[in-house]
Amino acid sequence: MTEPAKLELLARSSDAGGFQIVEVNSLHAYSAYKPSRLPQSHWEVTPQPKGADGMHQFVLKNLRQDSYVLLNANEYFLWNHFDGRHSLEEIGRAFHLSFGAFDYAVIRQLLAKLYSCDLLESKRLLDLQLNGATAPDSRWTSRFRWNLRRWCTMSFRVPHADRLCSVIYQRGGFLLFHPFTFYLSLAAAACAMIVALRLGQNAGSFAYFLKARPWLISGLTLATLVAVSILHVLVHALACKAHGRRVREMGFFLLQGIVPTFYADVTDIFMSSRRARIAVDLAGPMVEVVLGSIAILSAHAASPGVGQALLFAVGLALWESALINLYPFNFLEMDGYNILADLTAMPMLRQQALALIPNLYDRLCNVRSMARAEWLQLAYLMLCLISVFIYVIVHIDGLKALLHLT
Amino acid sequence: MQPVSELLKNVSFCQDLNESARSKLGALLISRKISAGAVIFRELDESDCLYIVQAGSIVISKHVQDQVDIVLTRFHAGDFFGEMGLFDTSPRSATAQTETDSILLRLDRKAFQQIFSDEPEMAARICYRLVTVFIERLRATNDQAREAIRWGLEATGFSPAPEHAAFGRRST
Repeated sequence: MTEPAKLELLARSSDAGGFQIVEVNSLHAYSAYKPSRLPQSHWEVTPQPKGADGMHQFVLKNLRQDSYVLLNANEYFLWNHFDGRHSLEEIGRAFHLSFGAFDYAVIRQLLAKLYSCDLLESKRLLDLQLNGATAPDSRWTSRFRWNLRRWCTMSFRVPHADRLCSVIYQRGGFLLFHPFTFYLSLAAAACAMIVALRLGQNAGSFAYFLKARPWLISGLTLATLVAVSILHVLVHALACKAHGRRVREMGFFLLQGIVPTFYADVTDIFMSSRRARIAVDLAGPMVEVVLGSIAILSAHAASPGVGQALLFAVGLALWESALINLYPFNFLEMDGYNILADLTAMPMLRQQALALIPNLYDRLCNVRSMARAEWLQLAYLMLCLISVFIYVIVHIDGLKALLHLT
Repeated sequence: MQPVSELLKNVSFCQDLNESARSKLGALLISRKISAGAVIFRELDESDCLYIVQAGSIVISKHVQDQVDIVLTRFHAGDFFGEMGLFDTSPRSATAQTETDSILLRLDRKAFQQIFSDEPEMAARICYRLVTVFIERLRATNDQAREAIRWGLEATGFSPAPEHAAFGRRST
């Protein structure tokens, strides 16, 4: 480890000519450093429901930059002491008295987090380039990396998303969130379910019609799914507006760098209640449920033929899409996962569960020392692994057929 | 304490000079005794000469705030400082102060200009060596700037942002 940096200072005494040379170690300066958070008008903090460990978490929002940081109870304590009047040494002592143990790394990590979101009174220091010292890659490796990076960052944003959503909400979007709309949707879904069971008896003839024009049917179904997923995201954003919060962004990106999808950034809903968050999470899949129900009811009303088969197939595909979206155990942060994270009050559940993997064996050997939160993370991890395993088993025949074809 | 002729053999900018050139240079130097703690020149003073340390120790510092300076470097017997004053009429960029009782040899700009007109070859040899010293000192300044920045980063607990520092939810 490198030695702490030192500054040699020459301090002049008030009598003529006298001076003293003082060496100041950066670690001494660090413990005397008095971090100062931005004035209160520049940030907003909202406590989250108690998590599995019985502690609250807090979402801190930088109102100037529209950025958010998640703080645990310890970090929130430190944040409250970053008032520019207490040195890190004093804060460390206060922390020790309150929590019984103290590690300066906690402060260092928090400071790094706060600096990155410009929540501390300090000029931006440096953007450290971490990749400067690595050996140069070969041409192919660097080309591969470049393509991979481009692929992972493939995205676009809708400009002025919040303003756009406000306009849509004011010009009729609010009707979607009226209780009457909700009960009407439930009634439609119930009717569609009964109708679907009846229409299911004609599955054979539907399959016949669909097989007759595979490309047309696949194209139309895909186009419908894309259009509905845009609506799905828009309704998430409108639900956020319905709770008086801001929509940070809307656009298209690769979910976890893999799944191409549309998105609405509704982080501001964390400044609202848990109920509001779950309402926003559920609003999206409701679009598929309602539109799927309408398609199935329309199929019921339509005369037998390709049109009826197509409506039925699209309706089922939309319902399936809603179910996939609501299923939380697939390693993806979809609506079901978000609801699970809200219910367990563990907004970083997926990341925490994945962080368990490197030490999983050790943790399993010492299950007795595991906290409740860790059990939840482990359960999430296991259910995700089982789900993925089952998914692969179920689709293995399809995979074999695909490999055989190629 | 070394006699001037011996001392000049060890002064880096005189190393390409022969015996007679060194004695010519020695004749142009003015000796000055200074007690410990005295200021030789202050930052922003008029600048018109170079000093060679014959004995003692000199600390060079730059004002930071109030009564506090940052120490840039120290010079001992055989070192020289204030060389910018030979070429440049800008004010002094730092303060020089004796740490211990010291003896300095002063070379005025006028005397240096006289070497240029009377002994151009000798002046060229001195200048070549001075450029080498400038380069060394510039490198040292770069290192010092990096250390000062490192100090600032460490003192304020600054480190690169951890992964997932910012928090967010994208509904899909």
